[in-house]
Amino acid sequence: MKPVAAMNPDALTAEQLRRAAPAPLRPPLWFKDVVIYEVHVRAFFDSNGDGIGDFPGLTSKLDYIRDLGVDAIWVLPFYPSPGRDDGYDIADYHDVHPPYGSLQDFRHFVREAHRRGLRVITELVVNHTSDQHAWFQAARRAPRGSKKRDYYVWSDDPQRYAGTRIIFTDTESSNWSYDAVAGAYYWHRFFSHQPDLNYDNPHVLKAVVRAMRYWLDMGVDGLRLDAIPYLCEREGTNNENLPETHAVIRQIRRVLDEHYGDRMLLAEANQWPEDVRDYFADGDECHMAFHFPLMPRIYMAIAQEERHPIVEIMEQTPDIPPACQWAIFLRNHDELTLEMVTSRERDYMYRMYAAEPRARINLGIRRRLAPLLDNDLAKIQLVNGLLLSMPGSPIIYYGDEIGMGDNVFLGDRNGVRTPMQWSPDRNAGFSRADPQRLYFPPIMDPVYGYEAVNVEAQARDPSSLLNWMRRMLAVRRTTQAFGRGSLRFLHPGNRKILAYVREYEGDAILCVANMARSAHPVELDLAAYKGMVPVEMLGRTPFPPIGDLPYLLTLAGHGFYWFRLCTDAAPPEWHEARDTPEDLPVLVLFDGWHTFFRDRVVPWRIGMAERVRSHLEKTALPRFLARQRWFAGKGRHIEAAALKHCVELASAGASALCTLLEIAPGEESACYFVPLCLAWEDEEERLRLLQPAAVARVRQQANVGVLADAFADPSFCLALLEHMGRASNIEAPGGCLRFSRTPAFGELDPDALRALDFHARSLSSNSTAQLGDRYFLKGFRRLRKGVNPELEIGRFLTTHTDYAHAVPIAGALELKLGDGGEYTLAVLYRYVANQGDAWDYTLDYLGRFLEAQRETAQAPAGDVHGVYLTRVQTLGLRTGQLHLALARQTGDPAFDPEPITAEDLSAWHARIVAEAAASLARLRASSSSLPAAVQAAAEPVLAREAELMARLAAALPPGAHGVKSRYHGDFHLAQVLIANDDFVITDFEGEPGRSLEERRAKHSPLRDVAGMLRSFHYAGASALLNAAAQRADDAARLAPLIDDWEHAARRAFLAAYASVTAEPDRPDPEAAATMALVALFEIEKACYELRYELDNRPSWALIPLRGILRWIDAPPAAGAHEEATWKK
Amino acid sequence: MEEVNVFFEPIRALLVQVAAFLPRLAVAVAIVAGGWLLAKAVRFTVVRALRAINFDVLTRRAGIDDFLHEGGVESRMSDWLGWLAKWMVIVAALAIAFNGLGLAYVTALTGKLLAFLPRVALALVLLAVGTYFARVGGAATSAFLRHTGPADAELLGRLVRYAIFVFVVLIAIDVLEVGGGIVRLTFLILLAGLVLALALAFGLGGQRWAAALLARWWPDADGRSRDAADD
Repeated sequence: MKPVAAMNPDALTAEQLRRAAPAPLRPPLWFKDVVIYEVHVRAFFDSNGDGIGDFPGLTSKLDYIRDLGVDAIWVLPFYPSPGRDDGYDIADYHDVHPPYGSLQDFRHFVREAHRRGLRVITELVVNHTSDQHAWFQAARRAPRGSKKRDYYVWSDDPQRYAGTRIIFTDTESSNWSYDAVAGAYYWHRFFSHQPDLNYDNPHVLKAVVRAMRYWLDMGVDGLRLDAIPYLCEREGTNNENLPETHAVIRQIRRVLDEHYGDRMLLAEANQWPEDVRDYFADGDECHMAFHFPLMPRIYMAIAQEERHPIVEIMEQTPDIPPACQWAIFLRNHDELTLEMVTSRERDYMYRMYAAEPRARINLGIRRRLAPLLDNDLAKIQLVNGLLLSMPGSPIIYYGDEIGMGDNVFLGDRNGVRTPMQWSPDRNAGFSRADPQRLYFPPIMDPVYGYEAVNVEAQARDPSSLLNWMRRMLAVRRTTQAFGRGSLRFLHPGNRKILAYVREYEGDAILCVANMARSAHPVELDLAAYKGMVPVEMLGRTPFPPIGDLPYLLTLAGHGFYWFRLCTDAAPPEWHEARDTPEDLPVLVLFDGWHTFFRDRVVPWRIGMAERVRSHLEKTALPRFLARQRWFAGKGRHIEAAALKHCVELASAGASALCTLLEIAPGEESACYFVPLCLAWEDEEERLRLLQPAAVARVRQQANVGVLADAFADPSFCLALLEHMGRASNIEAPGGCLRFSRTPAFGELDPDALRALDFHARSLSSNSTAQLGDRYFLKGFRRLRKGVNPELEIGRFLTTHTDYAHAVPIAGALELKLGDGGEYTLAVLYRYVANQGDAWDYTLDYLGRFLEAQRETAQAPAGDVHGVYLTRVQTLGLRTGQLHLALARQTGDPAFDPEPITAEDLSAWHARIVAEAAASLARLRASSSSLPAAVQAAAEPVLAREAELMARLAAALPPGAHGVKSRYHGDFHLAQVLIANDDFVITDFEGEPGRSLEERRAKHSPLRDVAGMLRSFHYAGASALLNAAAQRADDAARLAPLIDDWEHAARRAFLAAYASVTAEPDRPDPEAAATMALVALFEIEKACYELRYELDNRPSWALIPLRGILRWIDAPPAAGAHEEATWKK
Repeated sequence: MEEVNVFFEPIRALLVQVAAFLPRLAVAVAIVAGGWLLAKAVRFTVVRALRAINFDVLTRRAGIDDFLHEGGVESRMSDWLGWLAKWMVIVAALAIAFNGLGLAYVTALTGKLLAFLPRVALALVLLAVGTYFARVGGAATSAFLRHTGPADAELLGRLVRYAIFVFVVLIAIDVLEVGGGIVRLTFLILLAGLVLALALAFGLGGQRWAAALLARWWPDADGRSRDAADD
């Protein structure tokens, strides 16, 4: 099949064009998810300088409409017309109004719209025609009773259908007008120049269906049926919503379904919801219908600062068939109709929104959105937020996305139909014609005039209404819940807050809006969503998880939130969970800690002790472990967590049981450190603190409490500190708890320690506790036998070097076993005040950078990353200094550097090749279960496996240079804290996936350099994914910017690193070999990342896969342009 | 010749007797040796069995081990019971051996010893269990009284503990059948003394309170209290 772009569009029929349209255009029920942009051809853009907008002009602005983020364009009537009712007085159903262009122009417009993924909705005005239509001209002259005469409704008696209301009360006094040529009255529900068609004449319906098929054949996706309730007339009724009218619509629908499967009919029925419901029937009339009563009630709710009007009308809104949808809007080309409100409400609306009598017309208000809301940005954003989140497909009226004003001095409703304001140029950039030739003058007042409000200015302003609308529409596209979801109102006590939940196929969106002009708090009953994390959709910010208590929010005046209620999102890092899992098992402790040991209880309690121990090991601990972030076997069934080593640690505050757990089934070489403590009900504050970390409920006679993870217990952490301060040893059967301290510990003052603020956190592989601004305790969870390199390197840097950019170690806790084995259980750091880690800093920086670039078409300045790169240079310096410090000769064989030999290089290379092969094998094995995007990224990598392996085989550096020494081992941006505009390096634990022997082995420090370079890639890719999650269209445009940033960061980092570590007279071959080694370690790191992500976060595997692919494409590239940095 | 025979006859008779005794002696020695080996095994088994059922935990909780430790005795109660079991087997072996040798008096003496040793073991077990319960009872009393209000909960707890302890000691002595009369007499004296002390304390220290209590329990026919009538 030829690609669409290769076809000659003019040579194709409309149906061929439709079939060639991109696949996303043709999903069933597409109209349920769309946002529609209502536009008037006349008002949008004038391409030929005649002062009137036209189809070529509209076509030229399709990119703007697409970039706004809408999915469909509703084009107001563009048919030949005398133009006495803005085109709704059609004189010919089969042509285009000449000033707007030709049929060819229209076809081109439809084609271009489809090419951009935009659907086209046009008008089918079938209730009436213009009195200039050929049908009417023929009818008035045709003999009475003839087929042609009966195209319209005639009567000699103007009192016929007396019970019918007059719609345009300002201009019409009767629904009948006398035609002197016909010698009879003709029926018209609207203006007298718009005679109603007579559907009792079957030829009329045939003619209308012909007109409908004419446009559908041309590629139109949907038809708005104008004034649909008034098609038929019957004496003795109000001539609205008659059964005969519904019969006509069903016939139209039947034709549509028979010949055009995925097209849509949109009913304009300005009726109460229960009457409009009939236009959906059983899904066999219209697909969509306007929800007229909602719109005025949104304005009323804002004016009254009260949610009731919206809740009331939505609760009165009946359910509609699953294949149907509401169309909702804030403003359109007509007046803000107040037909669907009570008289009192209408008076109130007039008073609030149309104090100027000139703004009133018929039963409505002829103002645009911004003037209605006093040009208050918060109000405009609030009502748009409501519109986009209410059930239905929202319609945005052209110009409202930039807050255009109106001109009430133009007649009828033309004040809201003025030219689109594109720029501050002449005629608002709408037309190059002389101003006096324009169909209407543009808005020129100082507040809403085109010099103040225009697309060009707002496109350049990141905080403009236009850009805000783009962001909102992008966010709305991320879920189908807004278009298809159920609606459930919450009823918080504060009536100024409107809160509702939209749910669709497991996706739950919580919308909360403050109707008042001042800030308001609200407590929401979200018990049904307990445990979920609300993620604010605009900023993708996680909020604290929903717990037992009412969910408290505070909203600014006219503020609103959209939250996605997620089960898989992590709570904010700073959040402290305080809720206790409900299904905790109960352990009966008859003898304190002794209960768990059959050899420590009195003889007649042995059986009971064994049962309690079994309950602890087989039920309580496995459930507890499964909930922990740091537990590596999440998702795996745990049969038992056996107490392998236990030492009781008594302190003044409370006692704790330090346990090492052996997991079955699990890795034999690893065990978990879980210190346990008990808190009883009479220690209320301690109990509250420990409940989130509870392992089990416990009862000892009449005393109840919890058995909890002691790392959440301040008493336990303080006890550790006190023991470290005293360098104690606690002997126990089979082992000894050994506490140690370094000079960084300082003076031990137990009273001062107890006064420190305590803040515990559970991380992905360990637990931490911050004690005031003095200490930072890190408890290791997954233990392997041997000294942890974090303690070893930290102690070395603290006691043997003067390197000031690593967090100093103050103390440690180790378990020495009787068999000579040892485990590092915890380390104590001096606390370093910091501004967060470099990863968050980088992501924030890139987020801001991309946000700014998204709103502008201009290329960034050459030194756009200047400040950031200065920091990266500092990071490079500190990294180089770290490696020099670690390579210092001290006589300690564990640290003294050794020259890299050819054998070392060969061994490293062989291992990297083997790990790459293993990574790809694992990728292949799991590829079918990966997310679609990751599968797509995995395919080219797997397809080029041989190429990768060949390149790797050839990547062995030519010669061995430099030394191998101890190094960081898992160096990336998150391991670096920003403190006083400098960096402090932390976490020397090494890659947790490797054995302790591997982590403690000396190696080339260039592995750290490669790790940091990979981290730059990770940060860039993450920032790009975040940006794409909001607006996928921008990803392609922003990707080169991220590439530029990454290259600049790499260069800056390497140059600074080399300036510290490279020898001044380094020969060129050495520089090349060094860079080749870095490149080799980069692919090693990327393969490690791939394995890690496949095991832990499959959706993130996308990033290492891209890194691997880039390495295959150009591994030497990194070296080629960065090699120079190594020549000092 | 006959004179010679007369001279050697006692020697021959002695030799005959010795010849007849030696096998019995050998058997006795064998029994004692076997008994000794068996006693070692029994001691080992008893100590292991007691430790398997956490008897040491019981004696430690009862404070007996600490008591012994403070007295310079490093062995634990389970070691003592093992030692007793061992000696019971040895004494039994000796009794059998002596009986085999025909030493009736010694046999009777060892028999009495054999009958006494189990009582010592039983007394020790009773002492251990009883002391544990004395501690538990005292602690439970203190805890209960602490929660229900009266002052001197610790004192009352200690009283309960010592009362139980004394009772257990008396039972243990009774089991040993050592000075049963004196023990019973001592117990009665102690009990009478305690009752007298309480009566005195109640009668003198709480006279008015007792009068008020009695008045509330048995008021006069006209409803007035005795105190009021007396006045």
